[in-house]
Parts: sequence; C-alpha cells; structure tokens
Amino acid sequence: MVRRGLVSVLSVLILVGMMAISFGRVAAQDATPAASEKPLKVAFVYVGPVGDLGWTWAHDQGRKELEAAFPNVTTVYQESVPENPADAERVIRQFAQDGADLIITTSFGYMDPTINVAKDFPDTKFIHISGYKTAPNVATAFGKIEEPRYVSGELAGLMTKSNQIGYVAAFPIPEVIRGINAFTLGVRKTNPEATVKVVWTNTWYDPQKERAAAEALLDGGADVITQHQDTAGPQQAAEDRGAYGIGYNADMSELAPNAFLTAPIWHWGVYYKQAVQDILDGTWKSTQYWGGWKDGIVDLAPLASFIPEDIRKQIEDEEARFKSGEKDEFTIFSGPLKDQSGEVRVPEGQTMTGDEILGMNWFVEGVQGDIPS
Amino acid sequence: MASVPLLRGYRIERVPAPSRLATALVSLLSLLLALVFGGIVLALAGENPLTVYQTMLRGALGDWNGVAETLVKTTPLLLAGLGVAVAFRMQLWNIGAEGQLYLGAIFATGTALFLIPTAPGWVMVPAMIVAALIGGGLWGFIPGALRAWFGASEIITSLMLNYVAILFSEYLVHGPWRDPQAYGFPGTPTLPDAAWLARWGTTRVHLGLLFGLIAAVTLWVMFRRTRWGYEIGVMGENPRAAHYAGMPTKRTIILVMVLSGALAGLAGMSEVAGIGHQLQRNLSPGYGYTAIIVAWLARLHPFGAVLVAFLLAVLTVGGDQLQMSLGLPAAIAPMLQGTILFFLLGGDLLTRYRLTRVLGVG
Amino acid sequence: MRGITKRFGPVVANDHVDFEAAWGEVHALVGENGAGKSTLMSILAGLYRPDSGTIEIDGTPVRFRSPRDAIEHGIGMVYQHFMLVEPFTVAENVVLGERRSTVDLGLPRVERELAELSERYGLGVDPKAHIWQLSVGEQQRVEILRLLYLGARILVFDEPTAVLTPQEATSLIRTLRGLAAQGFSVIFISHKLDEVMEVADCISILRRGQIVATTAPNETDRRTLARLMVGRELAALVEHPAVEPRDEREPGETVLALRGVGAIGEKGLPALRDVDLAVRAGETLGIAGVAGNGQSELAEVVTGLRRVTNGTVTIAGRDMTNRPAAEVARAGVAHIPEDRLATGLIGGMDLSANAILREYGRPPLSSGPFLAGQQVNTFTDRLISDHDVKAPGRWAKLRTLSGGNQQKLLLGRELAGSPRLIVAVHPTRGVDIGATEAIHEELRRQRASGAATLLISEDLDELLALSDRIAVLFDGRVMGVLPARGADPEQIGLLMAGVAADAASQTETRSAADG
Repeated sequence: MVRRGLVSVLSVLILVGMMAISFGRVAAQDATPAASEKPLKVAFVYVGPVGDLGWTWAHDQGRKELEAAFPNVTTVYQESVPENPADAERVIRQFAQDGADLIITTSFGYMDPTINVAKDFPDTKFIHISGYKTAPNVATAFGKIEEPRYVSGELAGLMTKSNQIGYVAAFPIPEVIRGINAFTLGVRKTNPEATVKVVWTNTWYDPQKERAAAEALLDGGADVITQHQDTAGPQQAAEDRGAYGIGYNADMSELAPNAFLTAPIWHWGVYYKQAVQDILDGTWKSTQYWGGWKDGIVDLAPLASFIPEDIRKQIEDEEARFKSGEKDEFTIFSGPLKDQSGEVRVPEGQTMTGDEILGMNWFVEGVQGDIPS
Repeated sequence: MASVPLLRGYRIERVPAPSRLATALVSLLSLLLALVFGGIVLALAGENPLTVYQTMLRGALGDWNGVAETLVKTTPLLLAGLGVAVAFRMQLWNIGAEGQLYLGAIFATGTALFLIPTAPGWVMVPAMIVAALIGGGLWGFIPGALRAWFGASEIITSLMLNYVAILFSEYLVHGPWRDPQAYGFPGTPTLPDAAWLARWGTTRVHLGLLFGLIAAVTLWVMFRRTRWGYEIGVMGENPRAAHYAGMPTKRTIILVMVLSGALAGLAGMSEVAGIGHQLQRNLSPGYGYTAIIVAWLARLHPFGAVLVAFLLAVLTVGGDQLQMSLGLPAAIAPMLQGTILFFLLGGDLLTRYRLTRVLGVG
Repeated sequence: MRGITKRFGPVVANDHVDFEAAWGEVHALVGENGAGKSTLMSILAGLYRPDSGTIEIDGTPVRFRSPRDAIEHGIGMVYQHFMLVEPFTVAENVVLGERRSTVDLGLPRVERELAELSERYGLGVDPKAHIWQLSVGEQQRVEILRLLYLGARILVFDEPTAVLTPQEATSLIRTLRGLAAQGFSVIFISHKLDEVMEVADCISILRRGQIVATTAPNETDRRTLARLMVGRELAALVEHPAVEPRDEREPGETVLALRGVGAIGEKGLPALRDVDLAVRAGETLGIAGVAGNGQSELAEVVTGLRRVTNGTVTIAGRDMTNRPAAEVARAGVAHIPEDRLATGLIGGMDLSANAILREYGRPPLSSGPFLAGQQVNTFTDRLISDHDVKAPGRWAKLRTLSGGNQQKLLLGRELAGSPRLIVAVHPTRGVDIGATEAIHEELRRQRASGAATLLISEDLDELLALSDRIAVLFDGRVMGVLPARGADPEQIGLLMAGVAADAASQTETRSAADG
C-alpha cells in the first residue's frame, strides 16, 4: 500500500520542477517594457460560451464595441465560469490580481463572489449585471428588456391564430417572471383572447432541453413560441413545425428564417462604453444602472420581412413610442393589473414602483403556469 | 492465463503483479506523454505549448493566491474523493457522492440557519459537521441498505438519489428556505458568522482542507491498521473469502456506504460553511462525479486521493489562466485536462495489463 | 509440432517441444500441473500462437490464427469445461459453431448428419436432445460429435476423465480406442497414470515445458512414469494407493455428528437429503462422489456457510446447527475450501492479509479495533517458514504464488490452531505432486494428533490413501459408508453412479468382464 507513495512523490517532483522552470520564464516575460501609457484593462466574466448567440454573445458584442471605441482599452474574458461560489470567486479574484481596472461579472450567480472580491481590491471597479448588492466599488447594471419584450408580445398577439403562445422560460426568478408578465401584457393588449403558456427548463443554456420544451408547447397547440433562454433551440423547433418564433438576445433569423419574427436584444456596448468613459474621466461612481429602450441598451431585432404590412406598421409605431420615451417600463406595469386569479393587484391609475417591478413574484392574468415555491 | 482477443494478432493479458518501479515509471511517462500530446494539439492550434503549460502552472501555483485557490478547489474533491474511495475499496460502486454532498450541505445549512442560529462557533461548527455527516450518511445508507437487504444495484440507486438530492436542494433555495431579502432570487440567507469556517490569512483556504487531510490520515490508519479496514479490504477483494471467514458482510456494506456518504456530505458542508456561506443553486459543479476520477486515479489510496485532488485542482485553476491571460478558447483547458486524465488512466491500464503480439499470423 | 516455444512473461511454458502423434493411435500427454501440457495443446488447437516453432500435418506446415483455423485443418479440442449452450439442442449447439449460412440453419440436415455420425462412432447422442437434459458424460460426447461434424481428424482431450464417474470414464476410454481404430489421431492430457497405462498407445511426458520421454505402456510402468514426471522417486502413494499403513488404535469420541441433515443448493433444489454422518477424533471420513452431488453443500453446512433446512449439526458435543461461520471456526473447525482462490484466499492481497484471515479478530493479532502490525508480521513469517511456502516475502501478492504454495499457506493457516475438526475439500486439486505429498503428510499428521477430518475429494486414490472410512454421496444422499481398507474402487464407483450397495456387488462381475 505504501509503494504508491513513490508515484506520488515522483509526480510532485515533476510538478515542482516544471514550476521552477515556469517561474524563470515568467520573470523574463515580465521584464519586457510595458506600453508607454498604462492602458485600461477591462475583464469580463461570462456564464456561457461567447458563441452561444445568446446572453454571453450579447455581452461579448459589447466587449468588442468597447475595444473598437477606445484604443487604449484592453479586454480579457473568461467563458463558461460556473456559478458556484468556489469557481466564480476564484476567477474574479484572479482577474483582480492580474491588474484589471474594471471587472464586469455578467450573471446573477456572481453577485456574492463579486462583492467578496471587491472588498479585498478597493481600487478595482466592478460592475455586476442583474444583481442587487452594491459596494463603493461595485456598481450594478441591468436593462429594461421588458420594454421590447412587451412590444414583441404585441406582435405575438397579432400573429397568433390559435391564440396560444408558448413561453420557454429558464428559472422562476424575478427577471424572468417580469419578462413573462411584460410579454403577456403586450399580447393581451393586441389580442385579449390569447393566453401565454409557460414551461420552466431550469437551465439557461441547453439547446436540447429548450427545444424539447418548445416542442411540448407546440404539441399543446401554441403557434408562436418565445423564450427567455440563451440558445436558438426553441426557434428551431418553431421553424420545424411551421410556427412563429420570437427569440431573445440576438437576431436568430438565419437559424430559423421562416419562423423568426424578431427578438428583444441587448446593446451592452452602450452601457459599457459609458462606464469606461466615466472611469477615464474620473467620474465613475457606484450606481444601480437600469437603462431602457430610450437609452439604447435594449432593442428589438429587425422585424421579419414576411410580417404583414399593417402589423409591421403597428409594431414600428409602438417601437418609436418606446424609443422616444413616450412609453416605458412603468407604462407597461400600470394599473389595472390583475393576477392569474383575477384579483386586482394594481388598481387603475396606479403604477408599480421600480422595486415592486424588480421583486415581482406573481403572474399577470393571461399567463398559464405556476411559479414554483 | 486469462486473455481476451482485442485486435487480430494481439491479446490483452493481465499482468499478475505490476512492480512498484513499473507503476511509478508508467505514471511519469503517461504524464509526459499527455503533455507532449497536448503540446502537439496546441502547436497545431498555433499556440506555443511551453507558454501554455507555464501559464497553467503559474496560475495554479505561481503565487500564494494561486496556491490558495488550488487548495480551495482541492478541498471538496478530496473529501468527496475519499468518500468514493472508501466505498470502491469494498467494490461498492457509490456513484452518489454528488447527492450525498448536497445532503450534507442541506443538513449543515439547516442546522446553522434554523436549528441553532445563535450558537457560538465552538458549538455551531461541530454541530454542522455532525449534521453533514448524518445527511450525507443518510444518503449513503439508503443505497447501502437496499443493496445489503434486497440486492439492489447501488450504482443505480445512488445515481438516482443524486437527482433527488439536487432537486430537493433546488426546492429549498427557491422555496421555503429562500432569503426573503433577495428580491425573489434563489438562495438561502447568509449563514450566521459563527457558522463560517476559519480561513487561512486573507486567502480562501478554509478549515475544510484540514478536515480532508484528517480524513485521509484517518482512513489510511483505518485501512492499514484496523480490523474493520482489513475486513473492508477482504470483502472488496473477495467477498466469498469474507463470507468464508465469517465477516458480517451486510452490516459492513451499509456502514461503508454510510461512511462514504458522510465524507461526501462533509464536502458539502465545507463548501457551504467555508466558501459560499449560504446554500444556493450550483453548489457543486459536479464534485461528486469528479470524485470518482479522484478515487480511481488514486487507486483508492487515501494519500493518493490527496495528490490526485490537488492535481485536478491544479489543472482546473491553471486552466482558467489559458483564457484569462492568453485569450485561448475556453475549451482548451478541459481538453488538456481530459488528455492528461486519459493518459494517466491509460497508463494505469498498461501497468496492469499488457498487449502481446501473438505469433503465427499467416 | 517442432521446436514449439511459448512464453508467458518470464515463464517458459513450452521450451522447444517436439511432439508427434500418428494416425490411428491414442497418444497420452502426461505431466505435473504447470508442466506445459495444456499450453502445448492450446497451441495445437489454435488458441495460442507459439513464440517459435512449427506445426506440420502430414508433412505440410500449417499456421493457425484461431481455433477455427485449426478446425479447418482437422484439429479439434475438447476442453474440461464444455462450450455448450444449455437451453439449446445438440444440433443447435453444433450449428452455433458453424456459421456457414446465416439465414437457413438447415437444422434437419444437421440433425440427420449428426445422427449418422453418432451411429457410426457409437456415441449414442440424440441430436434433438437439449444439453441440460444430458449428463456430463453425454455432454462430453456431444463435444466429440461436434468436432467430428466439423471435420476434425485429430482430437485433443484436456483431462477428459476428470469430470466423469468411473463408469463414464471407462465408456469414454472405449470411445477413444474406437476412434483411434477408425484412423483418427487421439491426443489426451492426463495425470492419472492408471488410465494412461490402460488407454494409450504412446505416452509423452512433459516436465517443466520440455518433453523428457516418449514411450509406450508395454515399455514402462507407473513408477517410471511418475519418476519421469516429477524427476524423482515418489512415496508409496502412487504405486500402492490402497495399502497405506493405518493407525490401528481406536478413534476417540465423536467430534462431528450430522443427523438427518437437509439443505438447499445454489439452484434452489435440495442438495442434501437426510444425511447422517459422524466423524470421531483421530478419524478421517472420506466423501466420494461425482461433482455436484452435494459435496460442496456438505462442507458448507458443516462450516456454517450454508443454512440447514432439516436436521442437526453437532460439533464437539455442541449444537452448531445454523450457527454463524465465525462461531463454527472458533469451535475449532478448520476449512480447506474446494476452490482456494475463490473462497479461502484473497488473490489481490498480500500474504499477511491472507495469513490472518482466521485469527485477525483475536489477540494477539489484534488489540481493540486495531491490528497488531508486529504480531501480524511474526505470525505470517512463522506460517511461511513452518509450512515451507515458497514466496518472495510476506508483502507478495498471494496471486503470484503457485497453486501448491497457495494451498500450503492456506493449510498452514487453517491448521494453525490445532483444530478438532478439519473439513478439507479437494485439498490437492490443481496442486503438483510434490505439494500433494506435503499436504497429504500434513493431513496424516493432524489425524495422528487426534483431529477429526472430513475429506471431500473426487480423487479416489486420495480418499483411499487418507481415509479410515469412505462415504459415497449421490444426489445429496449417503449411498453407503465403507471401510477404506480393502475397499473396491469399482464398488465405490457404482455407488457414485447411484447404484445401491446390494446392486453394486451383483454387477461386479459384469463390470470386471467389460474391463
């Protein structure tokens, strides 16, 4: 039994040997002269792969815009970082230690790790996407994606024949719940008869599972599918069944040319550029950014060419109202709002507050499905 | 001599007793071969393999923070790996370490948040440990008892219980245990300070690592020096001989599964109390499954598990650096990890079996 | 076969072996365990490939890549373990090995041809019978029939009589002679010298991988053959198995008593029925019987490894019916199990671990929950030296020892505590002659010092040499108990075949005439 110890000892020796070599090399590398002016280094921590054509892809578009806009900004990133505390915090900490000036952590699961690391690196700035905890050097940011979602719901309400719309949803968390509500309110605005059926997948990124969920909804009679997911699986399901699809995060028309109507999309670059500019100007502060369509951080992908002209006109007019700020998040969540049981939650003339919207944990009338708790 | 035909003209034969030197050399050679093979792939991808390897090592071991983070990653792999190794020693294929880890985490969290939320640390931490051992042990007891009493395959039952445990944990963090202050996001409230495991200086290395090392030494002593360890060894190597010698097989099956689960449960407690300080979704990125690799590569030896858990942690932590510093695609790191594991396991096979040319091919 | 060499790692199994067999003769290949007999024949049958050397048939060199190649060249082998599918019929089993057509098996044609072959060679096999309906001897004939059907003209048998009753063995020998008379070349591996002398035209002796002599029965005797096999003179056992001098003093009190014992076997059927047996101190009771007639279950019932459904087991005056094995062992029962590597030893563990299997739970080998390392080492070393176990050291894996040394270690362990009852099952199976002697000597010594012994063996010579009385088991019943001294092997054989004692004496004359 002891003899395996020999293997162990030898293996350790190799590792140590290699380490010694690497130290030598690394020291030599560090000696090379740095650029004349210290560039601003921005690090991104991604939850998925940059090629997901979804959430992470959208953030990576923002990163690329940042690099294009500021010649003196370098960016680094790490893909597919698990959201468990051990791994996420290690990656964030490593970026901080490697001298990143700004670290952007793009998933809710990174909230506590971000706060923890920020405590130890007070000179590094952090932006956490979608969370609620802040610190002097930690800002949070999110966008009112519900605005384009609402408009996409209006489109879905006009396009459906069966008056059943399927919603493939990731997790029963407030972000997803209020998206479902906004979409449904849009649907009911143009088509009071239609209902939205929700299926939870309990995953952000699983093409097969998302596709299967969409197929189940289509089997149940839905003829428009939308999603709060990071892959094009549901769109492809809609394409195969000759139904319509409303995507998320990216223009997925190439993947589902006959189904894809449009998609609520992100322009994170708008916010990232502004944050970096503030840092360069020395005016950056820890804020809780919540931008809307008017600010340009959220948008609707170009409408499919096969959408009938009258409907297109109606939707484009609505888009214009949001872009101008005539309508916004609060317009959507204005009374009267009834919940699934028909009980009035927000009376006529009243509007939900920002905190109420962010913490929303009930479905509006017209949604079929439960919030597990 | 037992032999199986594999390729025409070749046979795989079992080597009766691989020598220590052969074992050591083959392990070394496998590692080197893996590095060379990985290097060729990297070179084909246009990367300098030496730079890549340096970067990995620098990330994992190049500074104190790297070392510390590697040890943080080692901790759950070690504890769960030891748990798996205990069961595997007895040829009990406990695939349920993941679920046992979650149960340990759930029990420990429940103890800290609801059972004795105001207890001082010297009560709290031991209580959480006991709770985790009970939780994980319970999740090992179920497949163990089913196996001992009804002959149900522990592979299937322990695997299935993983899903039960993970989904139960999801239910808790989305439902009854959800932090009311968290805007509806999943996750329990933060544990009281007394439940936080002590950390080593400013690093994240926590007491869990010590638990792992103590467990490794204890298991080593148990296997080598105690009657019970001897019985487990005999039952694993030859159950009929154990029966012949009158050893209490059924009882031992259950106890070993409980011990196996308890160790994995301790891994869960240590992640919650040492790192996350709350029960949340994604507590484990598959530690319970990686633990199987740990146990196997360690040849079920407790000290081997320490080394292998550390090696896997080096690969993971070092692997981060490939994208962070070199901007390589994120898939490179797992590819290298897979290559190294593949070669190590392959080398292991080669020390126990050999391929012989059979003469007489026409 | 010329200059055949085959190595397994450092072990040279065959060292430049030249072997010739002629058409129309029965050629016996004899040698100790591990002499390389099976390896040589496996090379001939295409199972192994030689490292060097050639095989010629009628002067034409041939090379085999597989048993199929060998069969195509007319060479077929009957193994000790038959390669038959039990639920299938004889004809179906034959077709399995054929693979000429995948669509139409042509069973009626095959059945017809098999029936003809069976008729011509006097095998008496019904092609439509299911394998599970057949006795071991019949199954063996199915194997022969299959090889004949496939066109084999050189037939190789690996210890063919080991699994047969004496009657079946006699019948087989007749078949072999018949085949040789029809021009087939028959090669058979054996270590039973009587049988070899009776059946062979030609005898080749292998020792340590080399052919040391080729001779004929009329040119030699058993003693010479035995000397050639082991390279030295042997004790009286081989030459005069039944005249072992016996201790004449009266045995002591009853140590083991079975009364009306019944037990269920592995397959859920009664394996022991109403067994009454008693063994007294200083006495050896031999149990004879063809494999599978309840011997294994008898040993398990006595050692506490199998539950008794009826009756009682009394050991040294204490009721031990259905007591746990550990308690039985503590009462002074040693058990040399029938398959040492599968049951009594742990191949993957070192010698220490194997040595302490019985005693590990008691002082001085353990204290509290811990094993006493120093004591374990001393204990193991003593066992190794006392019983002349040839091993590199106590850390060596048991599997690396030869069968004989494994058995010596096991024997030493079991007999360490001066047992009152020894249950020995096939104690010398798979063990070479040298170790067999040592083991027999040890068992005699134990008997002399007052131990009661229950000796289960399929080797009649062994039973006759060691036992005071012999009980014959058939279908779980005791067919009869006879004094070993002056026992007639033929009569025991008939009892083993289920022929009751009175009938056995009647058939005696006819059997003798047949021989």
